[in-house]
Amino acid sequence: MAKILIVDDAMFMRKALRNMLERNGFEVVDEAENGAMGVEKYKKCRPDLVTMDITMPEMTGIDALKAIKAYDPQAKVIMVSAMGQESFVKEAVLSGAKSFIVKPFKEEFIIKAFNKILAT
Amino acid sequence: MVELFVFETTKLLEQLEQLILSTEKYSCFSPTAVNDIFRIMHTVKGSASMMFYENISLIAHSMEDLFFFIRENNPQNIDCSSLYDLIFEGADFIKLEIQKIKNNDSPDGDPTTILSGIKELLGDLKGQNDAENFYAQKSNEDRQNDIAQSKEIDAKKNNHYQAVIFFEKGCEMEHMRAYAVIHSLNDIAQEMCYTPEDTDSDSSAEIIGRDGFKILFKTELSHEDIYDFLMQTPFLKSLELAALDQVEEISHPKILQNPAPVVTHQQSIISVQVDKLDKLMDLVGELVISEAMVTQHPELKNIRLHHFQKAARQLGKITSEIQDMVMSIRMVPIAATFHKMHRILRDMCKKLDKEVELKIIGQETEVDKNIIEHISDPLIHLVRNAIDHGIETPAERQAKGKPPKATVTLEAKNAGSDVVITVKDDGKGLNKEKILQRALANGLVNKSLNEMSDQEIYHLIFRPGFSTKENVTEFSGRGVGMDVVIKNIESVGGSVAIASKNEQGSTITLKLPLTLAIIEGINIKVANSRFTIPTTSIKESFRPTENDLLQDPDGNEMIMVRGQCYPILRLHQLYKIKTEATNITEGIMIMVENDSHGCCIFADELLGEQQVVVKALPAYIKRIKKIKGLAGCTLLGDGSVSLILDIGGLVKTNQLMVGGKSV
Repeated sequence: MAKILIVDDAMFMRKALRNMLERNGFEVVDEAENGAMGVEKYKKCRPDLVTMDITMPEMTGIDALKAIKAYDPQAKVIMVSAMGQESFVKEAVLSGAKSFIVKPFKEEFIIKAFNKILAT
Repeated sequence: MVELFVFETTKLLEQLEQLILSTEKYSCFSPTAVNDIFRIMHTVKGSASMMFYENISLIAHSMEDLFFFIRENNPQNIDCSSLYDLIFEGADFIKLEIQKIKNNDSPDGDPTTILSGIKELLGDLKGQNDAENFYAQKSNEDRQNDIAQSKEIDAKKNNHYQAVIFFEKGCEMEHMRAYAVIHSLNDIAQEMCYTPEDTDSDSSAEIIGRDGFKILFKTELSHEDIYDFLMQTPFLKSLELAALDQVEEISHPKILQNPAPVVTHQQSIISVQVDKLDKLMDLVGELVISEAMVTQHPELKNIRLHHFQKAARQLGKITSEIQDMVMSIRMVPIAATFHKMHRILRDMCKKLDKEVELKIIGQETEVDKNIIEHISDPLIHLVRNAIDHGIETPAERQAKGKPPKATVTLEAKNAGSDVVITVKDDGKGLNKEKILQRALANGLVNKSLNEMSDQEIYHLIFRPGFSTKENVTEFSGRGVGMDVVIKNIESVGGSVAIASKNEQGSTITLKLPLTLAIIEGINIKVANSRFTIPTTSIKESFRPTENDLLQDPDGNEMIMVRGQCYPILRLHQLYKIKTEATNITEGIMIMVENDSHGCCIFADELLGEQQVVVKALPAYIKRIKKIKGLAGCTLLGDGSVSLILDIGGLVKTNQLMVGGKSV
C-alpha cells in the first residue's frame, strides 16, 4: 500500500485529502500543518508520495519542496495548488515537483494521477 | 466535513479580524500581515470550493487576488480605510454565510457588491502601479529563458519527434501542466518548440484543453522510451507520438526506487467535537453519582469494611481526578471572546465619532466552553452600552479635563471557584436620578430616590423595558439587551454587580462559576423530598427559637438574626409538601444570600454536604409547568432525586412578594 504524507495548513483540506486517499486504498502515514513540519515528517516517515500545499505559514510549500528534494532527490512531491497560482506552480515544477493538483479536486483524476506517479 | 469546514473557517476569520485590527492601529499593512491575510483567504477559498460554497469561494478568491497584488507589487498610497472596510465587509459576508450553513440554510448571500468593490479597488491599485506592464515584463523574461533553453543544441545525432498531448478534461491549469512537460523534457530533449508557444496565459490553457499540446523535439531516446516517458505525465489522457525520421536507438535504464521503512508519527493535538465532550462530561457525572451510590450504599451501613473503605477511597480519588481532567479539557481561554470586542469597538467608534481604547487584562483566564458561549453576547452588550451611553465624545471629554481618548477595560480573573469578569469604562458614569425617573415613568418601580440603595437603582437598568437614552442608535438604546445580559448570566449561575461614580465611569462585574456541571451542595430534607442548595450561596444554618420570630404588617413571617430582619421561606409551603415539621422550632433554618439580599429557608433537616452533578429538569416537566426556584436536579448517593434550588430566583420572588405588599 502506498504511503502518503499530507502537508497542508488547513485541517479541512487534510481531512478531505485523507478521506479521498483512504477510500482508494492509499495509506496516509502522517499529516503536517506547515512546511517545516512537512520536511521533518518526510525525513521521519519517508513516504512514497507527499501532497504539499503551496501557501502555508512558517515555511511555504515551495521552500518545503526544495528542502525535501535536497534531502532526497528521488522524493515524489505533488503540489496542491489553486487556480491563479501559476507562478508558484512554475517555481514548484522547476524545483522538482512531480505534478500538481488543482483545488477543488476531482477524485478520479487525483487517484489516477497518484497511481501513475507512484508507478514511475 | 461541513462541521470541520465551519469550525476551521470561523477560526481563520477570527484570526483575520485580529490581524486586521492589530494592523489598523498603524494604518498600514506589514508584509507579514499581507502574506497572512493572503494565506487565510487562500485557505478559505480552497475549502469553500471543495464544499461547493461558491459565493464564499468567490469572495475569498477576490480578496486573495487583492492581497496577492499588494504583496507582489507593494503599491504605495493605498486608501487604507476603504481597504479595511472592504476586508471587513468580505469577512462579514463569509461569516454570515457560515452562520447560514450552521443553521442548515443554504448560503445564498449575494456577493456582487463586495466583489465589484474589491475589483474596483484592485483596478485602482493596478492603475497606479501599472500592473499590466509588470506582468508583461515578467512573462517576457520567462519566455526568453525558455527560448534560451530550447536553443541549446546538442551536436549528437538525434531523433526528431512530434508529440501531441491531451490532458484529462477538467484537470485545470493545462498551460502549467504543459509547462511541466516542457520542463521534464528539458533534461532529455533538445530543440524543442511547441504550440501554443505561450505557456503563461490562461487562453493557452483553453487551447491546450481543446486541441492538445504540440511539441516538436529532438532526443537521443527511442520511440518506445520517449513514449513511456511522456505517458508518465500525470493527468495525461492520450498521447500521439510520431517519429519524424528514424535513426539509431539508445536504451535508457529505468531506476527502481525502494521506499525506506515507514515510521509512523503521532500528532500531539487533536480536535474533538464538543458533543463528544458533553457526553463525556455527562458520563463523568454519572460516574460521580454511581460512586456515591456504591460507597454510601444503605446496606453497607454499620458494617466494618476496612478493605472496602480503602478501595473505595482509591476509587474516589481516581474519579475526582477524571473529573478534574474532563473539566480542564473543556476549559478555553477567554481571549477569543475578549478580542471580538476590538471589532465592535472599532465599528462603534467610527460610527459614533468617539475615541476609545480597549484594554484587555487576564485574557488567558480559562472558563468552561459552555459558559463562554453564554457570556459572549452579554459582553458585547456591555461593551456597546459602555461606549454608546457611558463614554462622551472627545470634545465633551476635553471640556471635562479628561483625556480625549477614553478607555474601556475588560478584565478576567479567577476568584476561588468563580471567574470574575469586569467591564470598566471611564465615561460619565450612571446617572441615578435619570435612571430612577425613567424607571418611574415606565412603571418599573414606585419608590423614591432615598428609599433605594445605589445597587438597587443601578440594577433597574437590567429590568426589561428600561432605557434612558432618548435617541435609539444603531447599537443600543432600545432597552432590550441589558435584561438579556442578566438573564444570560443568571442562566449559567452567575451574578452581575454594578458600581459607578459620577464623571469617573462605571464598572460592571460579572461573577461566573468556573464550570456548570458539578457543584458543591448541601442536601436538605422536607418530608420525603430532598433539596440541594449550592454551598456558595449559604451563609449559615441554625436552629431558630420562638423569640426571634416576627411578623410584618401583612402577616409575612420574618426572623431576627443579630439585629437584622430576614424573610422566612418555608419550603413545605412553597412546594405544598405535607410534613410534620411545620413548627418553626422543629426544623432548621438555612440563611442564603444572593446579591446582598438575604432570606432564610426553612426545612426539616440537613442531610450533609456533597458534590452534586447538575442535571436539567426533564423536558416533560418543563413543558407542563415552569416551576419557580428550581435550577435543576441531581441524583443522591442513595439513588433518590434531589431538586437543586435556584437561590437567586427564590430570593427574588420572595422579595417581590414581601416587598410588593409592604409598600
